[in-house]
Amino acid sequence: MHGNIWVVQNPQGSAQSMALVIRFQVRPSITITMTESGESSDQPRSNSLFRGLQVLLADDDDVNRAVTRKLLEKLGCTVSAVSSGFECLSAIGPASSPFQIVILELQMPELDGFEVAIRIRKYRSRSWPLIVAMTASGDEDVWKKCSQIGMNGVIRKPVLLQEIAIELRKVLVQANKVV
Amino acid sequence: MDVVSQLQRQFIDYSASLHREGFVDDQFTQLQKLQDENSPDFVVEVASLFFEDCEKLINNMARALEQQQGVDFKQVDASVHQLKGSSSSIGAMRVKNVCINFRSFCEAQNREGCLRCLQQVTHEYSLLKSKLQTLFRMQPSMMAVDCVLLSLVGLGNRSVV
Repeated sequence: MHGNIWVVQNPQGSAQSMALVIRFQVRPSITITMTESGESSDQPRSNSLFRGLQVLLADDDDVNRAVTRKLLEKLGCTVSAVSSGFECLSAIGPASSPFQIVILELQMPELDGFEVAIRIRKYRSRSWPLIVAMTASGDEDVWKKCSQIGMNGVIRKPVLLQEIAIELRKVLVQANKVV
Repeated sequence: MDVVSQLQRQFIDYSASLHREGFVDDQFTQLQKLQDENSPDFVVEVASLFFEDCEKLINNMARALEQQQGVDFKQVDASVHQLKGSSSSIGAMRVKNVCINFRSFCEAQNREGCLRCLQQVTHEYSLLKSKLQTLFRMQPSMMAVDCVLLSLVGLGNRSVV
């Protein structure tokens, strides 16, 4: 335990007193409860609906990808993350895809989210996997375009846990209704 | 355990001051809440990614703005847009706000304005980096703490196992 132990001897040579110093690791979760908000902070909003859900996440930004991935994992999803449109298409594969939902950042260099979605819907399948767009844009036209292309939902950035949960739940429920 | 609560208090207070002074916003709070046993260093890791991104993007912007032949404002804007996105995700509010102004100057193709914003964004990034590094230093000390001092008086000749 990376500690220290020492003994103070009395004149007779036997131990008079001993000191023992032990360093413990405080559980990391303490840092979670240290926020000022006072609300219950480490309640996972995971749901049996999301548990084991296979998600493919495509975002070229390292920070966004790390954050979104963590949020999805917090919900219980199993996440594969790629950093480009091309990698996304390769990951989906030719025929059957292991992924139930693809979450796509719209603005990616080279091959953007729109293009990826168009190709998925045209060359892979018209309804599977489910596609959810991620965008910082609040523009109605952007959302309309997503819908026209065949995307099933939109998540606004910066991403919040509640919002991902709500949108994914909506998308999954709608998909189940169609089938 | 007074030492523990003192350090915890220090961490809370410093974290709160960062929020109060606008260095970080609710997105950062969300990140802190996402940290758990599975990823105990999540916040530090994401912050490191962010600082790497910042440096790379700021260098891109500086290079593009230096071009004597003519500034490619689209290129500058692309970098600013990226920085705005990642600063927004991590909750780096001040950096994000400078990026918002920066984009307006890019759109207006105003080189002077852009250079001023570049200076500002560099300043805010450095400031945030040092503040977060201070905050993160407070965490390990919490985790390593708990010095337990036991004084056993008068053990006589008994050996300690």
